[in-house]
Amino acid sequence: MKRAFRLHRIFIAQYMKKLMEYKVDFIVGAVGFLLSQALEILFIGIIFSQIPDLAGWTFNEILFIYGFSLIPKAIDHMLFDNLWMVGYHIVRKGEFDKYLTRPINSLFYVTVEKFQIDAFGELIMGIILIAYSLIQIGADIVWYRVFVLLLLVPFAVLIFTAIKIITSAISFWTKQSGHITHMFYMSSDFSKYPVTIYNNFIKVVITYIIPFAFTAYYPASYFLRGENGLFCVLGTILVSSLLFVISILVWNRGIKKYESAGS
Amino acid sequence: MKKLLRTYLPFSKAGLQSSMAYRANFFFFMLGEIFKCFVMFFVWKAVFNSSNGETFMGFTMENMIVYVFISFLTGYLSFSDGAYALGEEIVDGSVTMRLIKPCSFDMCFLFQELGNKVMNYSIMFVPIVLGVKIYRFVATGSVCFNIGYFLLFFVSLQLAYLINFYFNVCYGFLAFFLTNLWGTNLIKNVIVNFLSGATIPLAFMPDALRIVLTYLPFAGLSYTPVMIYMEIYTGWEILFSMALQVFWLVFFVVVSKLLWKSAMKHLCLQGG
Repeated sequence: MKRAFRLHRIFIAQYMKKLMEYKVDFIVGAVGFLLSQALEILFIGIIFSQIPDLAGWTFNEILFIYGFSLIPKAIDHMLFDNLWMVGYHIVRKGEFDKYLTRPINSLFYVTVEKFQIDAFGELIMGIILIAYSLIQIGADIVWYRVFVLLLLVPFAVLIFTAIKIITSAISFWTKQSGHITHMFYMSSDFSKYPVTIYNNFIKVVITYIIPFAFTAYYPASYFLRGENGLFCVLGTILVSSLLFVISILVWNRGIKKYESAGS
Repeated sequence: MKKLLRTYLPFSKAGLQSSMAYRANFFFFMLGEIFKCFVMFFVWKAVFNSSNGETFMGFTMENMIVYVFISFLTGYLSFSDGAYALGEEIVDGSVTMRLIKPCSFDMCFLFQELGNKVMNYSIMFVPIVLGVKIYRFVATGSVCFNIGYFLLFFVSLQLAYLINFYFNVCYGFLAFFLTNLWGTNLIKNVIVNFLSGATIPLAFMPDALRIVLTYLPFAGLSYTPVMIYMEIYTGWEILFSMALQVFWLVFFVVVSKLLWKSAMKHLCLQGG
């Protein structure tokens, strides 16, 4: 475990060196992302100029949920982005050989190989939205809930990562699965808004099947209102752990199916 | 005309074949993109539940849902990334191959992308248009299908694509000055989506801004076809907005030709 962390640090340092060459790229990418999010928030603002609340949630509460949804997404994006490449080309081109021949766990190596600095745009936006909405709400912050919320963030990240691991592992059977990862990843958009606005079908899917609701709405709603604590907190921990275990099992079965490319 | 088709149709065929080869990928990609529409669908449902009136800034709920899906469809079908390919060719120097071939650079890109479009239309157009019709029928209990408006929408959609194509060709020439195509492309798309009404319907914007934006070329990319489809534009408005589309199309075609000419004079590539 200690060794894994040390290696991860080395990978990040290595990647930072590469990145310093492309400072402008980073700034341009971050500006683009911030701009697109800002316009989306503006749209929500326009909607709220006409209505008092959305399914019982005020503008600021919606901003908080929206902002919080960006945090686990950003952390996963920053640290474990390389998984996308497994489905897009690493397996298809036979490049996975490299990971199998190194003296560390292949899943760990391929996951942390790249540090994706673009994700800072998401992270900054999330923090701004959370800070702004909390100041606007002006409620007394219940400190133990802050602690619980922070505790849940790694578990929420795990949901994103586990879904990426499972969908990437499909490529061991099909050679390519990047677009399947894309499809599942995009469904995380549903978690930006309160689950209560969806119909039962979608509610069940994003709670139990592709459990993105646990990456944003359930932790955030517990923090804001303190209701359903048991379900929201324990649910996040259980669902993410379970999903992670499944993803490891799928991955390990997948590796056995891996056949390198010819030539 | 016959000669033109004989020269460029093979490009379309190649485009169609390459998109056919990846049709499963395309299908999953599409499904992922359309989730956004369903998120907005539920957001609007909740908005109308929370608001007291029947309409929201002049839109009924059915209108709003139709807007979400049709503007997604329009955005997708008028999308063009030929310019991105052009930019990459400029950056890596392979644009020289375009100079020694007896065909014009923009027609090659255009016909190749049209081949891709055949695929996009066959997968998306019918399901979404039909789905929206069924939704409307369930929600309002009546079917409204006006073949005239539908044809005008279709023509306007093609104009939107062509404007987008030539606008992007002009943008692609920036590759002579920029090295970061990916990041600037992202910023460009965000700005164009905003100005074209794809992010926020132009009707929701303050009057002064809305009027300016309807005259800019970007409204023709998304807002005009959608308004025609929804039968909100009528008579003179349709004529005027489509004339504006034609004007901007001609404008970008001319500019792209001029840019190509002046760029070729200054083109200087290393290596080989």
